[in-house]
Amino acid sequence: MKLTEDIAKSLMRRLKLPVPEGAPAETATRVGELASEFGGTVALKALLPTGRRGKSGLVRLVDAANAEAVATEMLGQETELGLVKRVYVERGAKIAQEFYLAFSFSDRVPILAISTAGGVEIEQVHATTPERIVTTPIDPLKGLRPWEAIDLWSRAGLKGRALADVGRLTARLWRAFVELDAEMMEINPLAVDADGRLSMVGTMIEIDDGALGRHPELPDAPSQQPDNPRERMVNDVNRANPGGDARYVELDGDIGLLVAGGGAGLLQHDMIIDLGGRPANHSDISPAPGTVKTEAVLDAVFSNPNTRSLLIGYNHLQMAPVDRVVEALANSVRSNKVDTSRFPIILRLFGPREAEARALAAQIGGITYLPSGASLLDGARAIVDATRKVVAEEGEGATA
Amino acid sequence: MSVLIDNSTRVVVQGITGNQGRYDTRLALDYGVNIVAGVTPGRGGEEVEGVPVFDTVAAAVANTDANAAVLYVPVNGICDAVTEAAEAGIGVILATTENVPRHDAVRAVAAARAAGAWLVGFNTNGVISPGKCKIGGIGGDNPDALYPAGRIGVVSRSGGMSAEISMALKASGHGVSTAISMGGDRTTGRSMCEYLDLFDADQDTDAMVIYGEPGTGNEAEVAAALRSKRLRKPVVAIVAGRFQENHPRGVSFGHVAAMIGDEADSASAKIRLLKESGAEIANSLDEIGLALDRQLG
Repeated sequence: MKLTEDIAKSLMRRLKLPVPEGAPAETATRVGELASEFGGTVALKALLPTGRRGKSGLVRLVDAANAEAVATEMLGQETELGLVKRVYVERGAKIAQEFYLAFSFSDRVPILAISTAGGVEIEQVHATTPERIVTTPIDPLKGLRPWEAIDLWSRAGLKGRALADVGRLTARLWRAFVELDAEMMEINPLAVDADGRLSMVGTMIEIDDGALGRHPELPDAPSQQPDNPRERMVNDVNRANPGGDARYVELDGDIGLLVAGGGAGLLQHDMIIDLGGRPANHSDISPAPGTVKTEAVLDAVFSNPNTRSLLIGYNHLQMAPVDRVVEALANSVRSNKVDTSRFPIILRLFGPREAEARALAAQIGGITYLPSGASLLDGARAIVDATRKVVAEEGEGATA
Repeated sequence: MSVLIDNSTRVVVQGITGNQGRYDTRLALDYGVNIVAGVTPGRGGEEVEGVPVFDTVAAAVANTDANAAVLYVPVNGICDAVTEAAEAGIGVILATTENVPRHDAVRAVAAARAAGAWLVGFNTNGVISPGKCKIGGIGGDNPDALYPAGRIGVVSRSGGMSAEISMALKASGHGVSTAISMGGDRTTGRSMCEYLDLFDADQDTDAMVIYGEPGTGNEAEVAAALRSKRLRKPVVAIVAGRFQENHPRGVSFGHVAAMIGDEADSASAKIRLLKESGAEIANSLDEIGLALDRQLG
């Protein structure tokens, strides 16, 4: 979950880390009030859960007197990053030097990237002067100690009093990175003023979704909720039933997909496209027992007005019984009043309790259950053909 | 021979008293696996399916000489469970738990490496050396039907796909020396290439089949190893997820690792890179057998 800057900074403030004074506002009037409280130059930042706002005019440095007028322009603005509903107002920092610092992960280890060329987009630094970025893996068992961070900053070219302060702050930020279960934490710029005081002017944090359950202190992020009501419904079911999340992402085609086990789902999706079909969604679901999430994805598929058919394509299951999937299908077909004579449903579903699954599917009626040994490609071909047929028939019906 | 597990493997099941632990233990015993111990703290002295239960992995090892561990442990306990097994001297640790938080995952990986253990997973359904041993639920209730013995090593980022690949091998007259579900989480104990190194050195493996996906540097590392001749045996690759490239999902936010580490993150880029490096690309499972026949003459 990407945090908006106001939340990221309030978390940092709680950890007693040096964050400039600031607050979020929803109206231009409130922006004006906050700005005159701070006085002088203030930063107005559109609150969107992303970085890269500088170029899009979503971060503006203005005189406090003009803040309300500028906020009027910003609020309600539709940008490629989303609608601006709130603005963060921050006391302007007096910047003497700007640094860059980010914690993230490679596949197996945490990585620290630092640079004394802060303030600009780090991709630009990487493209033009990659030698100015120092990256280093961090041993998660030892963590990052202050003297190690000082050594790294020294190698990045930092000298003098700032070296000690920035190094120590970096070690504290490592602990924050761990405590918050952050997937990524970027401070850019990390500013030093003329008196040598540090200030985390730009702060971006992304929390590991897999760890959200143990962070009740984090707010629900309504801005993170998808606009699509069916995607939102599946998310809600995940939240209510922790562990083994179902994923449902709507696309613009007409073939509904309930595919499980990650790999087979990806492969079948590729195959369907190669055969000229167009999936209406992608999904991924743990095949472990439990039908609630399976039903949620099926409900989403059946209630998507663009979906004309459904492929249930699982890997050959090895640990979970397949009849639970058909149970979920029976429930969802019933509750969504699906007419299986006009809505093709193809099952490629093999594994433990397959005989029971086949019997149950026969009871639903109108289901095509592919014979054992049918390949993933057979399933893809069957759903593309069936969908083409039903769409063509509908077309004829409409013109008749 | 086979890699990681064979007839001499002695398995301890951490979390043996839970549903999945109990179920998979039953199926593994039926397959002939030498399951010597279970561990559930507070349940020491009990038996599950005739297997003695201990309170700690160290006690299990001291009493039974267990040398491989299968972990059915909930996500919040998984980092500790891996560390416990590694420090008890277990050589191969299989962690089935999925969606392990990144910080826990990297700590567990580091703890296993520090102890010299081989961590399989996270999010794996197991490893099987057909006819010799299996750890994890791999093969389900009928491992013989899904995993015929043979001379092809399989490394898959998806547990289900290892079964699909194996069935495709069977259909084309091949079989499996060892099939490995290396783990579907982004952080896994070992990289795909480290598994291929094992197969490359195994005298009973003639060629390897890998299943890859978008994300992670696994496939790029394999490609580099093929180019440098670190890997000498043929590699057939199937990589899924090309469709994702048509659907950019929002604006990227975490970028430093992506920028520096993962220049070959998409399925298409991985396919291209593997092909250029000398791997055979199978576009569907049916093509795997043909590709192997070409490579092995």
